[in-house]
Amino acid sequence: MDGAAVNPAVEVRDVHKFYGDFHALRGVNLKIARGEVCVAIGPSGSGKSTLLRCINQLETISAGRIYLNGELQGYREINGKLYELSPRQIAQQRRRTGMVFQRFNLFPHMTALENTIEGPVQVKRQIKAEAIERGMALLERVGMSGLEKRYPNQLSGGQQQRVAIARALAMDPEVMLFDEPTSALDPELVGEVLDVIKDLARTGMTMMLVTHEIGFAREVADQLVFMDNGMIVESGSPYDVLTNPQEARTQAFLSKVL
Amino acid sequence: MAEHSAGLKMGSRLSASEATAHAIPRNHVVPRRYPGRVIAVIVILILALQAGKAVATNPNFHWEVYAEYIFSPTVLRGVGWTLLLTVVAMGIAIPLALTLVVMRESINPILRGAAWCWVWFFRGTPVYTQLAFWGLFAVLFPSISVSIPFGPELVSIESRWIVTPAVAAIIGLSFNESAYLTEIFRAGFRAIDPGQIEAAQAIGMSRPKIWTRILIPQAMRIIIPPTGNETIGMLKMTSLVLAVPFTLDLTFATNAIANRTYLPVPLLLVAATWYLVITSALMVGQYYLERYYGRGQGPVLGKGGQH
Repeated sequence: MDGAAVNPAVEVRDVHKFYGDFHALRGVNLKIARGEVCVAIGPSGSGKSTLLRCINQLETISAGRIYLNGELQGYREINGKLYELSPRQIAQQRRRTGMVFQRFNLFPHMTALENTIEGPVQVKRQIKAEAIERGMALLERVGMSGLEKRYPNQLSGGQQQRVAIARALAMDPEVMLFDEPTSALDPELVGEVLDVIKDLARTGMTMMLVTHEIGFAREVADQLVFMDNGMIVESGSPYDVLTNPQEARTQAFLSKVL
Repeated sequence: MAEHSAGLKMGSRLSASEATAHAIPRNHVVPRRYPGRVIAVIVILILALQAGKAVATNPNFHWEVYAEYIFSPTVLRGVGWTLLLTVVAMGIAIPLALTLVVMRESINPILRGAAWCWVWFFRGTPVYTQLAFWGLFAVLFPSISVSIPFGPELVSIESRWIVTPAVAAIIGLSFNESAYLTEIFRAGFRAIDPGQIEAAQAIGMSRPKIWTRILIPQAMRIIIPPTGNETIGMLKMTSLVLAVPFTLDLTFATNAIANRTYLPVPLLLVAATWYLVITSALMVGQYYLERYYGRGQGPVLGKGGQH
């Protein structure tokens, strides 16, 4: 790993994904530099979420390679042959990415704080008192101070999603992945979650976001990716893609959502 | 969801609105009367009193015999054995069923198949027959030995020292019960949102951790009521251990007395009373278990909601 410093944080190389006969990803190539915020937009079923889930190994890829800071994900490659990693090794790789889900997926039997410290205590074997201190700080950072003893069903959707972000951050991930983090929220709650994500982007966290919030994408993205039909149709700066799209499919999509 | 979040926002401004809340004059409402309920209470009370009188004063019930035997040493010993069989059999069946569920949900097809066969066999044959076979174990297999297959024997013990009637009863009851519990547990685990596993995987949890920290605590809420049901069923199923034959349990004890005294009715009542007492105690335990595992899953806003 001598070239670690020059490796992109995330590198997706010619990735395909099949669900049976359905070709969900058709040769995706993507590089996300360290500290960069990459936002994927596109119509439903275009493969944005699938790509995110492949990066986090919630889905196995059918072809291609995914590297995180230069490390091949899910396999060891020897002489061009791929050897499956053990579940333990895969769990270890997953720790390095933080995932925020559309439907929050907080653990309902744990309070906000317990959700936040679960990973550090159970997976990273941190001392509980330290994890609590850190968890409280993270909850404060996402604006959840004073609500740490609430169970998820005592929180609004926006609050739950902010706890979910704190839970992911507690593992000190190298990359944060957001899978439509505001799609399940009531409109008036979207802003509070986007504010937290914006703050996070400012701290230099490497992030990949899948979203339908085009305005937010424009504001926060360093690299904007437009996906359709399992392919990256167009990518570049938000200005290039949103204001000056080159591809007909991008233009057609934007004319509907803008 | 919308109401929920609105309620929370009010909650955060509670200190400001609390003062005004006391000042607002509340509506005075004359409670609605329900004459039907009063009539129902009277009718049920009359029926209950009549039934009670019919049972209490009926000489055929031999209440003096009931009083003589309800705390008799033989009966109390029977209660003890029945309770012991229930607790031990469930104590074995529950971890066994958990193991079987984990096997059934495993990615290893051999473990899956083995668990399926276990459930298929022990659920598919009558528990009475199973108990009779465990009772005959020492006859069928006179000695149990550890040996290299088709090779020399290493250790050998006579079966009758290991598979005593009590052990046969416990094995028979717990193996049979584990098959039913496996299906209950499986339903409990299947009811959990798959997103929970993904969220646990995303923070790098290993499979054993996901089971113990995420899945089991959440499944408990769903599993406990039917498992309580099964425990109460087990309490009464212990009366089948006469198939082994095991002769110390409550039903066997009261039946033996009834056969001696030619008075079955009061001794059936003795047995019924004790089964009822134990069931009631189990129900109290279940209530506290449900409350513990229901945390975070109660009604929205739980104790805070005083609207």
